[in-house]
Amino acid sequence: MNAHIRNEGDWVGASVNRKEDRRLTTGQGQYFADKKIPGTLHLVFVRSQQAHARIVSINTDAARALKGVVAVVTGADIRTQIKGLPQPVVVPSFAANYPDFWPLAVDKVKFHGEPVAAVIARDRYVAEDAAALVEIVYDPLPVVTDMEAALAEGAPIVHDGWASNEMFAMNYTGGGTPESEAAHARKVDEALAAAAVVIRRRFRVHRCGVTPLEPRGAMATWDDDGLTAWITTQRPHIDRLALSDVLEIPSDKVRVIAPRDQGGAFGVKAPFYREPILVCHMARVLGRPVRWLETREEHLMSVSQERDQIHNIEIGADASGRIVALRDNAIADNGDGCEGVYWGFVMPFFGAAVLTNAYDIPLCDIRIRVACTNKAVLSPARSFGAFAARFALDRAIDLLARELKIDPADVRRRNLIAELPYTTATGVHHDSGDYAKVFDHLTTLVDLKGFRAEQARSRAEGRHIGIGFSVGAELSGVSSAVLVSMENQPGFGAATVRVDPRGKVQVFEGDAPQGQGHETSMAQVVAQEFGIHPADVSLTTGDTGTTPFGSGTIGARGGSYTVSAVANACRALKSKMATVLLHDLKVEGVPSDVSFRDGRVFLTADPTQGKNFAALAERIVMAPLGLPAGMQAGLDQTEFFEADVPMLTFGAHAAIVEVDPETGIFKILRYVASDDFGTVINPIVVAGQVHGGVVQGLSNTMFEEFVYDENGQQLTATLENYKIANAADMINIESHHEAGSACPHTPLGSRGLGEGIPGPVPAALTNAVCDALAPFGIEVNRLPLRPNTIWRLLQDKAASKG
Amino acid sequence: MFPAPILEYFRPASVGEATRLLSGGAGENAHIIAGGQSLMQAIKSRLISPDALIDLQDIKALRSIHFDKNGLVIGAMTSYADIASDKRIPAAFAALCDAAGHVGDRQVRNRGTIGGSLCWNYIAACLPPTCLGLSATLELQNAAGRRRMVEARAFLKGPLETDRSSDELLIAIHLGPAAARTGSAYRKWGLVTDALPVVNICVSLEVGADHICREARVALGARSEGPTRVEAAELALRGVRKGDVRAIDAALDAAAEAADYQSDLWADAPYKKVLLRKIGREAVTVAFARASGEVGK
Amino acid sequence: MKRAITITVNGQEHEEMVENRLLLVDFLRDVINLTGTHVGCSFEGVCGACTVHLDGVPVKSCLMLAVQADGRSITTVEGLAKNGVLSILQQSFTEHHALQCGYCTSGILMNATEFLQSNPSPSEDEIRASLIGNICRCTGYVHIVAAIKTAAQRLAATRLEVAK
Ligand SMILES: Cc1cc2nc3c(=O)[nH]c(=O)nc-3n(C[C@H](O)[C@H](O)[C@H](O)COP(=O)(O)OP(=O)(O)OC[C@H]3O[C@@H](n4cnc5c(N)ncnc54)[C@H](O)[C@@H]3O)c2cc1C
Ligand code: FES
Ligand code: FES
Repeated sequence: MNAHIRNEGDWVGASVNRKEDRRLTTGQGQYFADKKIPGTLHLVFVRSQQAHARIVSINTDAARALKGVVAVVTGADIRTQIKGLPQPVVVPSFAANYPDFWPLAVDKVKFHGEPVAAVIARDRYVAEDAAALVEIVYDPLPVVTDMEAALAEGAPIVHDGWASNEMFAMNYTGGGTPESEAAHARKVDEALAAAAVVIRRRFRVHRCGVTPLEPRGAMATWDDDGLTAWITTQRPHIDRLALSDVLEIPSDKVRVIAPRDQGGAFGVKAPFYREPILVCHMARVLGRPVRWLETREEHLMSVSQERDQIHNIEIGADASGRIVALRDNAIADNGDGCEGVYWGFVMPFFGAAVLTNAYDIPLCDIRIRVACTNKAVLSPARSFGAFAARFALDRAIDLLARELKIDPADVRRRNLIAELPYTTATGVHHDSGDYAKVFDHLTTLVDLKGFRAEQARSRAEGRHIGIGFSVGAELSGVSSAVLVSMENQPGFGAATVRVDPRGKVQVFEGDAPQGQGHETSMAQVVAQEFGIHPADVSLTTGDTGTTPFGSGTIGARGGSYTVSAVANACRALKSKMATVLLHDLKVEGVPSDVSFRDGRVFLTADPTQGKNFAALAERIVMAPLGLPAGMQAGLDQTEFFEADVPMLTFGAHAAIVEVDPETGIFKILRYVASDDFGTVINPIVVAGQVHGGVVQGLSNTMFEEFVYDENGQQLTATLENYKIANAADMINIESHHEAGSACPHTPLGSRGLGEGIPGPVPAALTNAVCDALAPFGIEVNRLPLRPNTIWRLLQDKAASKG
Repeated sequence: MFPAPILEYFRPASVGEATRLLSGGAGENAHIIAGGQSLMQAIKSRLISPDALIDLQDIKALRSIHFDKNGLVIGAMTSYADIASDKRIPAAFAALCDAAGHVGDRQVRNRGTIGGSLCWNYIAACLPPTCLGLSATLELQNAAGRRRMVEARAFLKGPLETDRSSDELLIAIHLGPAAARTGSAYRKWGLVTDALPVVNICVSLEVGADHICREARVALGARSEGPTRVEAAELALRGVRKGDVRAIDAALDAAAEAADYQSDLWADAPYKKVLLRKIGREAVTVAFARASGEVGK
Repeated sequence: MKRAITITVNGQEHEEMVENRLLLVDFLRDVINLTGTHVGCSFEGVCGACTVHLDGVPVKSCLMLAVQADGRSITTVEGLAKNGVLSILQQSFTEHHALQCGYCTSGILMNATEFLQSNPSPSEDEIRASLIGNICRCTGYVHIVAAIKTAAQRLAATRLEVAK
């Protein structure tokens, strides 16, 4: 591997090939399912076939009798053995109705796919044989699968003992008392009444998400040291605390390890789920390693379902297109709401909070209600909660523009937040950057003027091409200020950097990446700071036994918070190393007089005076004699980075499409993103994040949909029915970040990126389709965006015209 | 998801051995496995739990594409990939290459077989309507050595139903003889590229030197009643001149009229008719062109 | 219910007693511990993460039983690099950042390796169509397509060298 020291020290900003890729292209990755412990028992869940029913009886005799079966457990067995949820560690600091639940259903089932029993056997095949023998008698209950119906008077109640299905409700604006909110609403009414133009529409975004290619899994062992659990998770440290509380095991006896390689997550692996609880519990009960490896069917039945919101928007603007007021009455369908950390509703809560996006909207009245239904709980997916909100607002803005007969790009541009920092009506802090510049770059990239001319020519020839825009001001990491209230967790980024006596650097990060390339990005930063080669840097992630406490790989924290902690730790160590060098050279000076380059540490003023990086490290660690007064030995440094303000990153998207009005079939001709990623650590990695995020957004918008029938049966639990875009469905996404600017709140000027990228996609694409079909005057306000829907709208329009 | 226990696995080397196994030698609940691209899904999801599997992979005679005096003979075990890439298949049967070339994906085409597709006769399948539209004849054989020739029309019934009796093996698919100046094409639509067909059509046209269609066959799949020929459309295509868009559309309207589609996750029934017109127009146009030797496959 | 089988995997013969019902992918992963081949489906066989070569031809190893591969030869992703040297395609994948989480990568490499043998100078549309049986959730396919394109060019150059 090692180390011709590269002469140019500029690793940050270089498209360095990833350190991960050799093992991942040769089949040497270590994913969850690749870890094997001899003697492991295999746990398989028996999941509910019914959407809502009392459990009358469960007969496990035949399953138990099968050779190779070690145990069969039901909700009734475990409810007395372990605490249920909620537990404070995985409950946000919001008032809401938190349903009680256990890893296995107790008394009744609330969605198709809920775990009801579990079989533990010597191998997975046998466990599945036995699972098929578990007989469950249900007494069906009325099913509610529609969020509006669920909130109506007299709806079937999902959770016993609840007065209604409303899990959470919030009014984001107006001050918090009924009187002040009413007064505020009147102000919004007045502003809307005075507006030159008002758009009132209902926007519906379907249930879809970002299912990773690798499903979930958990494996646990139990011995004298306590519990060791391997979990496919984005946040091992949170899981550890939660397991400790739920299983009542002292936290020093719990170690959680997120596998070094994870096959994607995109938010799906962030919650504290019920399945790992049972795996850990059974390992303790049986005294043997227990493993559960999720099937795709289980995955699609129970997790990675997000979005599923209705936004009832009223938006008013003056004649120039400046927005004067916005109202949104949003609703979200949260399924059974049973899920640690997010409880499903945190996503729509957040979506409504960031509804105003990058727009300067002076007056807002934003409310949301979250309903429980007989479906799986919402679980996070990239563009957390915001996907639906972005669609609603950026569609509404297009409609506004059409009403005013102004180019939608101009209306957007006119309403972008012009001066930063800025705080939205819902309290979201926009920290830095130049939104207009990034947006203008986009209109240049797509040559908007030229496109309009071409569009006119094409129309004359009977071809229908269109362009659509949208924007996203998305999380660049999640500060404690945001995360403590939202998830009851700190937001800081944490890292330990250790320089060893051979001049190699080990980095320990408490997060658990799943493909973002942390091993490479962090190594680039360390190499840049120390003037060494990235090959001399290694990264350990995800093991609570060895890494500093961190909240996990969520909300684009890698490029913002975690990397900043790494940079700060390097800088602290550099200062120490520089101090020792000056001391040893008996030179008066301050650490900033010392340079780190080309594997050497030397006086900037006289490069001949210095030492090899490795030699200096060895001197400090192995021969800690004669150190400057008061200095401790060793070169380990842990840093916790918290930016002084919450941070966002801005991006603008444009889609260009051609639509066949006869069939509604459309083709994406171009998709262009212009983003502000601040200082870019690795351009090719950044481009990859954009490509992936956009394609996820497109796939969500066009193909993916979780469908439940009226009996609550999930019809889309295979990849045959839950359609994901393949390569032939997609085009080359164009990613640009030239118009970005360094973030003033991070040591490197970097911004977090990746999380929010799918957000602007559905509106950009839908706006493009509607633009192409402008002569027909149809409006698509409902997703998914499919040829069938477009065709139907065209038919309806034609019919209404007579 | 895993198969339930499978007691026996057989790999016969000849048709005789295979039919003997099928007629009792392998027990009551024995299933043939060809490419396994449908059967393995059913076995893994435990929709089917065979006690025994009879794997045809070693019967080399079943994997071939050759010509006899009547036309083209394709062994039941011939893979989609082999069919799609066979340059000898004439324009009259080029629909086969269209269909085989767009089944699922490369990996599926490497394993899946024409025989498996016909014997499975799934609602969303490419080869059944194609063989119907090409008036294929299927050759079956049982343990007694009796060979039976069945027209595709009689063989293909409702979804997952065929005329095959449980002790019969599908041996080959016979196509032809085809009149000179015959061209065929197959098209399908699915939500994602090359997905299982939501709507599909096979068109076969015999065209005179005057570019007027003498004889037409139109078959549709993706129907809850199984694949079917649409005579109204066939009638309407007779006498139509190549490039007569209006007349072609009228024929496709007739096809759409007759197509008793049902709404599903991918498209509603009225929209399926729109799609049928779209892909049908393409299929007819290509079939015309192929008939007059303008395009190859 | 069990059967002795011999499968050659990456050039090495493996003789094992396996249950008839054992899937080929589980044979590879659990019996002979080659875990580079991945699983992303329950039974539908759509994702392609499990793609291996069966006598040189890409197939989905989740849709086959191990007994069906008896007497035949399998190549997995572990068999692509020779003596620690990455294949041209593997190298191109790392250079183009054609993978993020890497879960799909083994299957894509197996499929594309043979694809480039059967179609040495593919168009972009052909490359995209060749990938239909492999879902990648992370990359949006852009870099994968680019990596395959580059590999095709380099393979052509190599062939030219050899021809000279
Ligand atoms: C991801 C994926 C995508 C797909 N996409 C498509 C698509 O787009 N279009 C499409 O048409 N299909 C599609 N398929 C299905 C595929 O075409 C199957 O290969 C086909 O349906 C069955 O052929 P097989 O050789 O695999 O048969 P098998 O699955 O082995 O067998 C199917 C049935 O036929 C019986 N059988 C097989 N051969 C014989 C014989 N010679 N005599 C008697 N009985 C026999 C078997 O007993 C079994 O009942 C797809 C499959 C997958 C996994
Ligand atoms: S696991 Fe084989 S195709 Fe998905
Ligand atoms: S790289 Fe993650 S699925 Fe392809």
